[in-house]
Amino acid sequence: MIGNKIESKVAPTHAGGPLLEVKNLKVSFETVNGRVLAVNDLNFSVQTGQRIGIVGESGSGKSVAAQALMGILRGADISGEIIFRGTNLLELEEDHYRKLRGWDISYVFQDPLSALDPIRTIGDQVSQVLRLRNVKAAEAKNKTLEILDRVGIKDPQRRYNDYPHQFSGGMRQRAMIAMALIGEPSLVIADEPTTSLDVRVQAQVIDLFNKLTEEQGTAVIFITHDLSIMAGFAEDVYVMYAGNIVESAKTDEIYYRSIHPYTLGLLGSIPRIRGPVLKSLTAIKGKPPAPTDIPPGCPFHPRCTYASSECAELKPTLQIPKSGNHLSACHHSELLSQKNGSR
Amino acid sequence: MQPILDVENLVKEFPFKGDKKNGVPRAIDDISFQVFEGEALGLVGESGSGKSTTARCILHLLKPTSGKVSFQGSNVLEMNKNELKSFRKDAQIVFQDPYSSLDPRMKVGDIIGEGIEIHNPKISKQELRNEVIEMMELVGLRPDHFNRYPRAFSGGERQRIGIARALAVKPKLLICDEPVASLDVSIQAQILNLLQKMKEELGLTILFIAHDLATVRHLCTRIAVMESGKIREIGDRSQIYENPQHPYTQSLIAIVPEPDPISERARLVERKLSKLKEQP
Repeated sequence: MIGNKIESKVAPTHAGGPLLEVKNLKVSFETVNGRVLAVNDLNFSVQTGQRIGIVGESGSGKSVAAQALMGILRGADISGEIIFRGTNLLELEEDHYRKLRGWDISYVFQDPLSALDPIRTIGDQVSQVLRLRNVKAAEAKNKTLEILDRVGIKDPQRRYNDYPHQFSGGMRQRAMIAMALIGEPSLVIADEPTTSLDVRVQAQVIDLFNKLTEEQGTAVIFITHDLSIMAGFAEDVYVMYAGNIVESAKTDEIYYRSIHPYTLGLLGSIPRIRGPVLKSLTAIKGKPPAPTDIPPGCPFHPRCTYASSECAELKPTLQIPKSGNHLSACHHSELLSQKNGSR
Repeated sequence: MQPILDVENLVKEFPFKGDKKNGVPRAIDDISFQVFEGEALGLVGESGSGKSTTARCILHLLKPTSGKVSFQGSNVLEMNKNELKSFRKDAQIVFQDPYSSLDPRMKVGDIIGEGIEIHNPKISKQELRNEVIEMMELVGLRPDHFNRYPRAFSGGERQRIGIARALAVKPKLLICDEPVASLDVSIQAQILNLLQKMKEELGLTILFIAHDLATVRHLCTRIAVMESGKIREIGDRSQIYENPQHPYTQSLIAIVPEPDPISERARLVERKLSKLKEQP
């Protein structure tokens, strides 16, 4: 335990209940083209030590939602509730929120090159979290060396005084992760942490997150567009499309028994390294809608192979169909669950 | 069979000032391979392996330090201005980043038509327009996109523009440098399917560069694996994926994730155990 860690926790610990509970979260922006709803009615909860995956393509609202949780969205209208350890973060004063960040909840950005300050050393940036909380310089440095070692940065004594440009992409991402972990937070939000990395480094990052959740019970919200990378990591998966959760279930349910056409389409789009070579991939036609231009009815209907007239008019609600056992927002979920999600 | 492209002992060094006691670093270190007409050859490697440098040397966008690149029997590196111009028509490239590789101030129709006009300056305006529109339809763009600027398009559509621009001059060889790496998953599949279609319908020869062995497996019937500027293994798809010989190829295949939670969890545990074993 570092210094006066317990006193400086802003939110009180509370017995039982989820670590984080998001209720009816809506995020909208005022733009020249009118009001844009980037996140529409998001509901989910995270237990201590739980590994959550959020999957979505560009414009799905996954990063906006994550940044809303972190309280780092500027110029957005946010409604709903974000309850962390019993406190609604949306009602928190900025001063309090700031104490929470990096300490109770931390964030790993997608692009470590633009998230790190190029003119400050890695050691300086990673230890900042502690120094801001009045941990003595020597202790902060020791803790930083320890965490750099734990995330797999070799020879941390020497690397401590290196600048970001002296690190490779994978090493920078490790430094970002070290920065996110040094305050021993109970929740880490990782926004596409593997996207710009080579496959080998991706696997190392996944292994690192896995180790953390197992060793220190840190909960992780892992956001990605890549269904392959999080298949072995996430316990529960939420699939987002055009600002909505369209399907959510235990990981195996999503991958083996999906009942939503978008998820099924995503799974079909992925080229495989094993099994038969397909003549063509079952691509989803069209492109994800811009948040300024979300189609009426089911937002996925213009791209959907199952779409019927109903889909263009009525937006489906997220519910468990009669023959199914997990949540899906699709008028044809009942049909798909009878087919047992066959692709 | 005569190869369309023959790369022999290609070397590219990037000399630098200062201490050279470890020698000059070689981005490409003596590689040789051939690409045959109508095939798709995959060139796979992690970042820094030298795969993009190879593409640039082949097209003579970079000058190799030594070695030979032959296109249809003639040495690209010894071509005069006119020969090089006609080579540039026959060998085209699609770049990785569809945002920085399109001129933001040019209209889509002009971007696609520029190459056609350069190689056929006497073409009439109407003919040029027809050819461009034909290209746009071929790659799945709408003719009314003709007068729009790149900023109006998504990543996937921009990559279609890049492909149309490359195909507009009717090349024999298309080099694709990570053409899907920056796209959304559902769009990646569209672009891969498009390249597959172009290969079949136009009899195009493709050199497909990627870091991702799964993508390459889908499109390419022969694969070369690069590491540290060297080709470690080259062979047919079935050999590379089912019976890889080089340890580097084996490790690269083993690490590719699949959308299959049960096998991915097993591999996660496997990696954890092998790491524990390494520690004393």
